Parts: sequence; structure tokens; C-alpha cells
Amino acid sequence: METKDQKKHRKKNSGPKAEKKRKRHLQDLQLGDEEDARKRNPKAFAVQSAVRMARSFHRTQDLKTKKHHIPVVDRTPLEPPPIVVVVMGPPKVGKSTLIQCLIRNFTRQKLTEIRGPVTIVSGKKRRLTIIECGCDINVMIDLAKVADLVLMLIDASFGFEMETFEFLNICQVHGFPKIMGVLTHLDSFKYNKQLKKTKKRLKHRFWTEVYPGAKLFYLSGMVHGEYQNQEIHNLGRFITVMKFRPLTWQTSHPYILVDRMEDLTNPEDIRTNIKCDRKVSLYGYLRGAHLKNRSQIHMPGDFAVSDVSFLPDPCALPEQQKKRCLNEKEKLVYAPLSGVGGVLYDKDAVYVDLGGSHGFQESDEARPTHELVQSLISTHSTIDAKMASSRVTLFSDSKPLGSEDIDNQGLWMPKEEKQMDLKTGRVRRKAIFGDEEDESGDSDDENDEEMSEGDSLENSSSDDETEKEEDAEMADKEYMTGKGVKRQRLEEMEEDVEVDLPAFADSDDDLERSSEEEEAEEADESSEEEDSASEGERDILESKAVGEGSKAGLSDSLNPEKSLTMKKAILTTSDSGHCTAEEAFASEDESEESSSLSTEGEDSENEEVTRKKIPESSQVVSGQKLGLENLINETSDVEDLLREEESYKEENKFPTETSGALKWKEDLSRKAAEAFLRQQQATPNLRKLIYGTVTEDNEEDDDDTREEIGGLFRVSQPARECKHKADSLDCSRFHVEAPHDWDLEEVMNSIRDCFVTGKWEEDKDAAKILAEDEELYGDFEDLETGDVHKGKSGPDTQIEDVEEEVKEEIDRSTEESAKKKHLDKKRKLKEMFDAEYDEGESTYFDDLKGEMQKQAQLNRAEFEDQDDEARVQYEGFRPGMYVRIEIENVPCEFVLNFDPHYPIILGGLGNSEGNVGYVQMRLKKHRWYKKILKSRDPIIFSVGWRRFQTIPLYYIEDHNGRQRLLKYTPQHMHCGATFWGPITPQGTGFLAVQSVSGVMPDFRIAATGVVLDLDKSIKIVKKLKLTGFPFKIFKNTSFIKGMFNSALEVAKFEGAVIRTVSGIRGQIKKALRAPEGAFRASFEDKLLMSDIVFMRTWYPVSIPAFYNPVTSLLKPVGEKDTWSGMRTTGQLRLAHGVKLKPNKDSLYKPIMRQKKHFNSLHIPKALQKALPFKNKPKTQAKAGKVPKDRLRPAVVREPHERKILALLDALSTVHSQKMKKAKVQQHLHNKEHFKAKQKEEEEKLKRQKDLRKKLFRIQGQKERRNQKSSLKGPEEQSK
Amino acid sequence: MATQAHSLSYAGCNFLRQRLVLSTLSGRPVKIRKIRARDDNPGLRDFEASFIRLLDKITNGSRIEINQTGTTLYYQPGLLYGGSVEHDCSVLRSIGYYLESLLCLAPFMKHPLRIVLRGVTNDQTDPSVDVLKATALPLLKQFGIDGESFELKIVRRGMPPGGGGEVFFSCPVRKVLKPIQLTDPGKIKRIRGMAYSVRVSPQMANRIVDSARSILNKFIPDIYIYTDHMKGVNSGKSPGFGLSLVAETTNGTFLSAELASNPQGQGTAVLPEDVGRNCARLLLEEIYRGGCVDSTNQSLALLLMTLGQQDVSKVLLGPLSPYTNDIFKLMEMSEFLEIRGQLKDKE
Repeated sequence: METKDQKKHRKKNSGPKAEKKRKRHLQDLQLGDEEDARKRNPKAFAVQSAVRMARSFHRTQDLKTKKHHIPVVDRTPLEPPPIVVVVMGPPKVGKSTLIQCLIRNFTRQKLTEIRGPVTIVSGKKRRLTIIECGCDINVMIDLAKVADLVLMLIDASFGFEMETFEFLNICQVHGFPKIMGVLTHLDSFKYNKQLKKTKKRLKHRFWTEVYPGAKLFYLSGMVHGEYQNQEIHNLGRFITVMKFRPLTWQTSHPYILVDRMEDLTNPEDIRTNIKCDRKVSLYGYLRGAHLKNRSQIHMPGDFAVSDVSFLPDPCALPEQQKKRCLNEKEKLVYAPLSGVGGVLYDKDAVYVDLGGSHGFQESDEARPTHELVQSLISTHSTIDAKMASSRVTLFSDSKPLGSEDIDNQGLWMPKEEKQMDLKTGRVRRKAIFGDEEDESGDSDDENDEEMSEGDSLENSSSDDETEKEEDAEMADKEYMTGKGVKRQRLEEMEEDVEVDLPAFADSDDDLERSSEEEEAEEADESSEEEDSASEGERDILESKAVGEGSKAGLSDSLNPEKSLTMKKAILTTSDSGHCTAEEAFASEDESEESSSLSTEGEDSENEEVTRKKIPESSQVVSGQKLGLENLINETSDVEDLLREEESYKEENKFPTETSGALKWKEDLSRKAAEAFLRQQQATPNLRKLIYGTVTEDNEEDDDDTREEIGGLFRVSQPARECKHKADSLDCSRFHVEAPHDWDLEEVMNSIRDCFVTGKWEEDKDAAKILAEDEELYGDFEDLETGDVHKGKSGPDTQIEDVEEEVKEEIDRSTEESAKKKHLDKKRKLKEMFDAEYDEGESTYFDDLKGEMQKQAQLNRAEFEDQDDEARVQYEGFRPGMYVRIEIENVPCEFVLNFDPHYPIILGGLGNSEGNVGYVQMRLKKHRWYKKILKSRDPIIFSVGWRRFQTIPLYYIEDHNGRQRLLKYTPQHMHCGATFWGPITPQGTGFLAVQSVSGVMPDFRIAATGVVLDLDKSIKIVKKLKLTGFPFKIFKNTSFIKGMFNSALEVAKFEGAVIRTVSGIRGQIKKALRAPEGAFRASFEDKLLMSDIVFMRTWYPVSIPAFYNPVTSLLKPVGEKDTWSGMRTTGQLRLAHGVKLKPNKDSLYKPIMRQKKHFNSLHIPKALQKALPFKNKPKTQAKAGKVPKDRLRPAVVREPHERKILALLDALSTVHSQKMKKAKVQQHLHNKEHFKAKQKEEEEKLKRQKDLRKKLFRIQGQKERRNQKSSLKGPEEQSK
Repeated sequence: MATQAHSLSYAGCNFLRQRLVLSTLSGRPVKIRKIRARDDNPGLRDFEASFIRLLDKITNGSRIEINQTGTTLYYQPGLLYGGSVEHDCSVLRSIGYYLESLLCLAPFMKHPLRIVLRGVTNDQTDPSVDVLKATALPLLKQFGIDGESFELKIVRRGMPPGGGGEVFFSCPVRKVLKPIQLTDPGKIKRIRGMAYSVRVSPQMANRIVDSARSILNKFIPDIYIYTDHMKGVNSGKSPGFGLSLVAETTNGTFLSAELASNPQGQGTAVLPEDVGRNCARLLLEEIYRGGCVDSTNQSLALLLMTLGQQDVSKVLLGPLSPYTNDIFKLMEMSEFLEIRGQLKDKE
């Protein structure tokens, strides 16, 4: 029974087993396998055609080389900066929720409100900076330039929206980062089939836009207002393992996505003038290329970096360890704009966020009482999320999808459809494609028809039971999330950022206060602000605030010591020739600072004081910071550092623990030691010699030092040495002052080794190398004779040979050495073989690659052993560093209207990218953009880092290279464009938009293209026709007037080609004297006075030098997307109601046609004569009067004669009538006769036929008979 | 309005060339004040004006402002344009003065530079065209500036004070320079030279050769000194003679020395034997100093190293020339280009 059920054995047809069998089989047949098919059947593999073979060879080589990329030197830093993940999507699609979920997934922390970029550690080797991108086109453009990965959120229940396509196009222009689509709101689909269909449709559309096979992620549904854990986890995995392609622009420019901003302006300046230019410091990870100090940088405008310094990494990757996954402590999150991170480092201070003055108490008390409030606060954000999801279900019910008429012009163009969200009143810009229309309509119908509870549950089949239930109970959701989410203490930290921004204004009220108090106050309020009161003090890390009271108390008690240390610090800084600011990080408390001078006991006392004061301080300082002071002077030594470490341990008990904030403490002592050592390091003398002195223009000293005589004259002192230098001879020749005496033998010997004839170094000496080779290749066996040749064994081995029996250890060592030698030999031989063998294989490409790799190695190795401080000076700040950039003269609006939701991007500019000139580009109007673009209309470009408004001119290049101005861009064709603006390197992509403000209907991207050329002058011309009129016409020569104004002008155009409207060509000859500007011209034919003569010339046009950076970041909060620059003339006209005054000549007028009169044709006599008769004009002259003599007299008959004539007439008439009748008669008769005759003839023929028939029959019979007789033969015949 | 890169300000006419060249390369405007302000003859000299004119010719859109006395110069660089250019150099300085700067600029033009320079080819102050051809061109080749259009040709020789020489220089465009690793000079394998004489007896050159060989032969046998006697229209306007020597090492570095006779009417007459001997000694001096780049080209090598990609380049130099050109040049580089070199003493 069972045996029957067993499957029958099937022979393997493929795989290694089958292969083996086949081989064996073939061997059995003695055929050999495939490999020697060549041998078996040489003819099949013979060269049939050399040409074809060459072609196939070429083809394979082509395919091979196509795969190659130009090798570039690998410049990726060892510790790369965090990857920028841009979460993009139209509003209410679930961006913030996704970010929150991702952060929670990676760090186990929950951020309720996210402002600005959030940096997290996502793996052992990877960090992420996640930032949200709304649908403001400014933000979209900015973030597309810095993104490494784009998570493109798409509301599946709604479909694609215009923003998605706009962003994709922006990405395409500015180098294409990795793009991953994420479909959300999938739980709004009730039916599985519909869901599947939608998924497929969206996926394919996404593929056409990105690339076929691009990853599209599905987030199936929400649980408690969050996405499902497993899905988020998977998404996180995808992000962490993703590989990135380097983008040209990003790798060649340094850039920073700012995650923190501080205002450093002197508060006094702000007090006196609130609109004064600010000095700000911006923080962020450096990405892309190396950043040089004092280089140009682009923020919303171009600024020169006044100072750059690097800070310890606030979100560092974990130290190397063996474990696979991250420790809980290593899962850091850093988002200072959102108030997360706990510790903020500055150049000379560290701020620790303690979570408010009541931070410690809160943890043990107030749990139950605050719960309600907290839940209310925390639910605030989830309501949004909930609303987003609930809206979807409501929305799909009442989707107002009117079947629009779609203009299918063969373009695959999305059509924007404004859809009003019923609940939120938001207008969504849906992108609809032609073929989708009916589908979506269908799905709507389905939706309406098959509305049943059971189906809706089926929809989320992947979900487990409980989740299904939760889906159904949407209404309860809000409550549940509110309860489920615990508000963390971290959230409170965000407040300090909020407070410190508008803080400067407050100081106005405090005018009366003493300066000391004010200082303390300021420190409290704008605690992150750096106190830049005196430059000497800047190096000292000043403790900012530990509450007002504590500050006062401390400063009192520590005053003498502090001032002492300060002095010392100033001394030390001035000592070091190096002007770089000492880098000092948090390692000491304020109280500890004194410990370098006093004992430890004092130290702890101070600490206690501070600890006491904190709870006492009545003022609630939201963002209280512990300014940590550090002073490392040269007197302190390593012991000091050790002591610091001890005290640090004590401080550890200090209850400042905030989650994720402990990282900074881990290697405080190490950092301090580093800082100390860094300073100790002596700079090389040579470097000091070169970089130490400055040749800046020093006028002030030479004016002041001179004495005056009589208050009028000055003694012109003999200029000092440096003055001599300033005007010395500019010559690069090396003139030797004290030449050697080259006749002396010892002098000559000193350079003898510089020649090939001299002595070489040990390793290069020819004799030595030869000997070495002998040693290595000395031993060999002559295979033919069997002789063994032995090389000389070294003296040491000989000795060891003798001692061999005595000591075994030595024996072993000798063995080892012999073995080693043997291995060496083998290796060398192998290397030689490899080199020889590979030589044939190595191509140009391989060589190039090898070279690049070598260079990369060299680059890495060069600065590897140096510390960052020195390294930064040579190679600049390398990507991956957390840097702080100071920028001066920033407009005050930048600070006042700072909105952390809007990303600030600092883009480093290349060498000449700060200059302006004319930029030529190849431009194409975007095929989805509805209008065409007009020359001289201001338009906003995004090129390089910049966004700016400028006035372009469009042109097209003629076949002869002439650049002809176009009034409008062509519809479906590339054209040239030139604008005056910042110079950006060739090959940079750009895009253009008409306006960046608000929501515009339809697709916003007007044009895209690439920069072709940069120049300081342009050659665009437009056509200019000069017209003139003949005023005197000779045969082929005419005098023309009205074309020029002077003889000089004519002289310029001598020899130029002119033409009449009727097409007679001619040439300008020479100016005439009589009417000014008239000239003589010769034509190929005679002109008419009515002719108009014109000349085609080309007139160079100029571009208005208009460059207006888009300063959307300076706009007030909430109005940042309303930036509008210069308006076009069309817009202005519309706004002011000015109608265009048309040219009168262009107007249509009623057409009055005159009757045309033609002259008669006149043919010259000579021609007439020559014409053939046919064509001769035959206008006979009217018969003239006959001469009288020729005139015949009229015949007048007599009555009798008339009678006779009448009778004769009558008779002849009768006769003719008779004759006619007779003729007819005769005709009839003839006819009848003819008929009769024909009949007769027929009969006769019949008779004859019969007769002939008879005759032939008889004849036939006779013949037959004859034949018969002949067949019978002669005997019969004879019979 | 667009922001113009902030300009740099200097005093004195020293390093005028380098400042202008660096300004052109970096695109930053430069203002130089007090040019020979305390001199009896204040302001820019002829040859400097000629140099500025040359810069104007090879760039597009440069703005040059010079005050009435010529003591203040404002230079806002344009784009390096290139193309076919002719320039009459001042006879106060030799063509080498102009050529040194052109060598720095030529690879970064928009169109390949083809320039004809007229003036003095050899004099006593500046490196002569012969030396530049023998040393600077191979150096540029190390940086990847190569190709058949890369050439420097002496069409006519012109000696001071009359001049009348003509040089043709063409250089291809290279956007990126190769990083170099010149740390091993190698050993000198041959010495070549050029003894030239114009408007004097052709025998002079032979006498120079003999005397130079008499010294150099003690070190290396592979010496060949060409004699170049130009006649007629190719011989310029003034008489003179001289010698340039180049030592080539096994690793392809070139060390040079040169000496020319006193210009006509200035100084005492010089014997050709003295020229030969002294020049040979100068070469030995140069060899003694060592380095992978000879003293005249130190600045060129350093500049090109900084202008390359961000890769590490290394070069071994002899003692920096006392002219301190290089030192100041480096300093200016750190101002113009924000690049610093790492300096290490060998031994």
C-alpha cells in the first residue's frame, strides 16, 4: 500500500550529480566532455571569417570596457559622517510618525516633537541623521542636495501627489541620491484585491520615475498611532545595510547640515541696535570634502567663515568591540534643536542639560499627579497622527473623483487635481496620470459596492488578531495611545532652546542692574550663548550658570583664585606662537578648576555648595546648564590629570543622569590628557619660520614711528629691513653668496656620491645586489646532469653547524632560520613569477586603478599618526568631524526668525565659486510645466548650493556657432540660457522655478539643464534689419538713403550684402556726400523706386546684472514659504492693471483693396516680326471703306425678271424635293434587295455544306476500308 | 548683489608676480599698495606693467586699476582664457620672468595657450628660457601636463639690452594635476648643456664648452654641451654669450645652472672660459644642495602641488632659495588658497 504512494525516482537532469554522470557516460563512449569539443570537432571552431571574429572580439571588449568606471582616489573618511536620511512626502502622509518610529526603533527613546535633524547611532558602523522635508519647495531643493537617502512617503489611499514628482525631479538634477518609496495608509483599503492593484500601480509608476526595481516599502497599518514594530524594524534594517553611490557634487564640496545654532553677538550691541548684524556659530557634522578654515561658505547668502573648530563627537560611534549588536548605552540620539542629547559641547565649554532645576525631584514624586497633564501633552502629537489616519477612511468614502478630460498628447504627464480634504480643509495636489483615471474610478465603485465588515478585516490579513480588533476600534485609539505613551524627562529639555532664542530682548529691562548681576542673568537666560566679553578670557571656560545664587556665591568665594588662573591662562596662550585657540573639553567642574591650586578638600566643599544651591534657587530656569570649565595650562602635569579623574568619579554620584547623555563622561580624562599633550607638542621650526610671520600690509607703524620736523616735514628714515624686502627684486634665481671652492679635493668628494659613478647606498649597490642574488639563487640542481650546486652558506650557519650537537635550541633556531630562508626564496620566486605572469594581463585600467589605490593609501598614511589639531591645519577639517563654524555679519533676521523646522545647509564653495560672471547653460523647459519661459523674465535657479533669482536670456545656436536670442524657450527642445550670477563649475545640474512662494497650481519645476560654460562676457546676438530707400536709380547702381546716419557708419558697412524685399541682391559700395548717410550700392538688377532695401545685421544683447539670492530663511516663522523676489513684467502689469500698448502697425485694420488697372500689352515691332505667325498679334484693322471706283453698283430687277426668278426658284424646289423622295425610295429598294440576296446566299452555303459533308463521309468510309485492308496484311489483301 | 570674494591687501612690489598669479588662480582680488613708494622713481616699472598687460591678455574680464603714480594696484582677476596670444615683453627683464608665471597659469586655461613672447631670452637675473625648457618642462610633465602640444621653442635669441628674441610656448589644458611623489632624487647620470653665442665669434661657444668640461669631467664622463650660434635675424639685437648646464639624474630630476655674459655696455668684458668654469661650479653647487627640484623651480613645484587634487604630494627640496620666495609664497598660499604644506626636515 505504502509503496505505491512513493514517488517514482526521477533522474537528475541538471546539477553537479547529473554533470558527473554525463561526464562518465561520455568517457565511456570515449568522446570526452565539452571541454575538448574543440578537439573533437576542430572544424566547428575554426576561423570562418576573420572580419567576423574581429567584430566579435571588439564587441566583447566593448562590453567589458563599458563596465569600467573611471577610477578615482578613494577619499571616504575612515569614520564617515552620519548618513542623511530625508523623509519626504506631502503633508499628512505620516512623515513625523515614521521618524518617531524609526528613532524609537533604533534608540528606544521616544521624541514627541521633532525639530530639525535628529542624529542617531543605528549600528556599529553607521549613524543616521534623519530630517523631515515638507512640501515647501525651498526645503525640498535644499534637502535634495544633501540627502544620501530619501524615504519618499506616499499616501497609498490617495495616490501620488505633485510634491513627490517635484522632489524626484529635484533629486535628478542635483545628483540622484538613493530613493526608497514608502507606501503608507495601506490600512484604508478594505479589499485585498484593490490593495494589491493599487500597490502594483503605484510601484510601476514609481519604477518609471526612479529605476525599474527600485525598492518600495509598504507600511501596512497603524497600531496605537504608530507603525507596526516589525515593519519599522525591517525598514531600519534596510537603511542600516544600504550602500551608497558617491555623488559628484557632494563628494567635491564640503557641506554641513546644521543641527544647532547659537547667537554669539555681543548682547550690548543687540541692546543698542536690535537690528545689528549678528555673529552666529553653527554646528553640524561635516560631510563631503575637506573644509578649509576661512573659506567661503553658502548659507542663504555667501559668507566667509570666520572660524572653524572641531568638537568632540556628540553622537559618537561605539568603540571597537566584538559584540554583534549595540549596547543600550551606545544607542545615542542627538538632536539639539529638538532639545535632545543632554550634553552640548562648545569650543570652550560643555553644557549639561540637567532637565530643569527640579529635574531630580521629579523622578520620585509627582508621578500620579502629573500623569493626567502629561498624558494630555503627549497625546497632543498623536491626535495629529490619528487624525491623519481617520481622515483616510472618511475620505475614501467620499472621494470626489470626477472624470476629468485628460489631454493625452502622447505625454506621460501627471495632471494635477486639487482635492479638498473634508476634515482638515487642506488642499491636496494629486498627480493623476491618464491611464489611472478610469482605474481609480473603478476602485471607487468597488469601494461603494462591497462595503462589508468581513471584507475589511480580510484586508489586513498579515496582521494578527489583536491588531485587527484595534483597527476596528479606531475611536478608542486616541485614548489608548494617550495612556500608553510615557512622557520622558528628555522632552523637557527642548524648552531651553525655545527660551534661549528670544532671550536677547529681555536684557533691555535690566538696564539698571549692575554689570555683574546682568552677566549672571544673561548667563541664565541665554545660557548657550558664549560670553565673549574679553578675548583673553575666551580660552578659559567659564562656568555659565548654576542658578543665580550659586553663581554669585561661587564667584565670591573663588574670585582670587580664579583671577590668578585667568592670568596664567592668558600668559600661556600668549606664549605659544601658534595662534590656534586651545581646544578644551569638558573635564572639570567649576569647583574643580580651583583644585589645581587648592586641595581636594576644598574641592568637595565647593561641590557641596553647588549641590545645596540648586534646589534652593527659587527661579525656575528651564534650561539650566552646568558650564564646565577647563583650564589646562602648562604647569599642570599628568598627576594633575589623574587627580581630576578621581574628582570626576566623585562627581559621578551627582544626579545628573539623563538617558543617553552619559557618553560624554566616559573618556573625560583621556580627552584632557590629549588636550594637554597636544599643547606640549613642539611645532617644527621650519613650519614656524614660514607660517609664523605675516606680511600683511603694515602702514600704521611706519607712519607713527617717524618723527616730524616742524610739524610739517617728516624725516624719511632709511627703511628697515622688511621695507627693503617689500620692494626687493622679484627673481627666482638662487645666487650663491659663499660658493665652495670646487678645486679642493675634499669639497669635490662631498658630492662625488651624487653621481652614478660614485658610491651607492647599501641596498642599491650593484655589487651588493649581485651578491644577494647569488645567495638566493645560489643553490640549484642541474636537472640534466644531476649535479647539485651549493651556494656559499653564511658564516653564521657554519658556526652553528659546528655547535649543532651541543645545543638543541640553537638547532631549532637554525632550522627555523633555514626554513625562513627557504620561504623567503620561495616568496621571491613567486613574486617574480607573478610579476611576469601578470604583465600580460594588466591593462591600462588596472594600472590606473592600482595607482589610485596607492594614492589613497598614501593619503591615509600621511596624516594617520598626527593628532587632529595638527592635521586640521594641513588637510583641513575632514568629513565626519563635528564642527562649529563661526560666521559674522549675518543678518539679524536669521537669528530672530530662526525656525528649527527649516534646515540650514552650509555649503562650502570651491575656489572661484564665490565669483560672479556669465553662466551659460543648456536648458530645457520641463515637459510637465504648463507655460513657456520668456527671455528677460526673472526666474529662480537652483545651481550648486545656491538658490537665487536672476534674469536669463534664452538663445539658440545657429549652425555657424552664432548664438541667437530667443524670445521664448522652445516647447520640446533644448536651448541655451545665459544669466549673470555666481560661477558654478561646468557640468553642474540646475533647475528653475518661477516662484518659491506658496502653493502654485500644477507642476512647479519650470526647467532643468546643465551648466555648459562660464565666462566674463557673452556673445548672444539678435537680428537687426536696417532699411533704406533708393532715391536715384541708374542701371544696376542705385543711391540709397535712410539706412545710416553718417558717412562713418557707411564706411563701417562697406561691402556688406544688402537685398531688396523683392529679392534683388546687392552690395554697399561707398558713402555719398549729398544726403548724410546715403550711399552708392550696386545690384544684380535695376531697382524700382518703390523697392525697399534692407540689410541683415546682428546686434549683441546685454544681460541685466541681476542676482538675488532667495532669502527664504530670513522670513518670519510661518511665512518662510512666502518669499517672492522680483516680479515679471507680466505680473506687474497684471497687478497694476496696466495694459500693454500694442504697436499701431501690428493692429488689424479693415482691408481696402483698390481696383487694379492693367496697361495693354505692347509687343515691340522687331519682336513681332520675329514671332511665328501663331503668336503674332492678329488684331486686324477694321475693313476700311472700299474706294468708290471699286464699289459695285446694286442690281435692280425688273418685275418680269423677278417673276421668272421666282418661278425658277419654285421649280427647282419641286425638283429637288422629287429627287430626294426618289433617293429614299431607291435606298429602301436597295435594302430589300440586299436582304433577299443574303438569304439566297445563305441557302446556297447550306447546301454546299451538306454536300461537302456527304462527300467527306463517303471519303472517310472509303479510307477506313482501305485501312482495314492494309491491316489485314498482304495475304488478306491477296484474298 | 553677488558677493565678491573679499580682497587681500599687500604693501610693496615684492612678489608681485606670485601675488597676481595666485590671485588669478584663486579668483580673489588683490590690492597692492606702496609700490616703491619711497623710491626716487616710484610706481610700477616697465616690466611689471608689461606683466600685468600679459595677464590681461590671457584672461577675460580682469579689472586692473592703477593709480596716478603707479604706487597702488588693484587687480580683480577674470577667467583664464588662453588661446593664441602674442606679447612684447619688456627688455628690462628676460622672458623667463614672464614665462615662470605662465607655467603656473597655462594648465588651467579655458583654451590651450599658444603664446609668442618677444624680448630678452637670456640675461643674468632671471632663469633663461633654455633652463626653463630643460628643467621646468620635465617638472610639469611629472604633474601630468603632457602631450605633443606642450612645447617651448626658442625661435630667436635676444640678449640684453637690445632684446629681439622670440619664444613660442604652447601648453595643453589640464584640469586636474597628478600628485607627485618626488622624494628620491637618484644619482646624476648625465650632464647636458647649451653654450650659445649671438653676434660674437662662433668660437666663443666652443671655448665655453671646453672650459666647462674641464671641471665637470672629473665627476662624470657623460657630458655633452651643445653649441648654439644664431645668425642673422635670429640673433637678436645685442651681442652676448652664455652657458646653461643641466644635470639629469637616474630618477628623472633635473638640476640646472646657468651664466651669461655681461650685457653690452655694462660691466667689464667677460672671458668665455670664465663663464664656462663658473657655470660648471654653479652646477656643482646646485648638485651639492641637492633636492628633487632645482632651486629655480622650487616655487613652481610647490605651487603646482597645492593646485592639484586633495591628494598628498611629496617633494624633497634642497635648501630653500635665499630669495625666500618659496617661504613667502607658501605663506601666501595659505592666504589665497587656504592650503598648508607639511614641512619636514630631512636628517
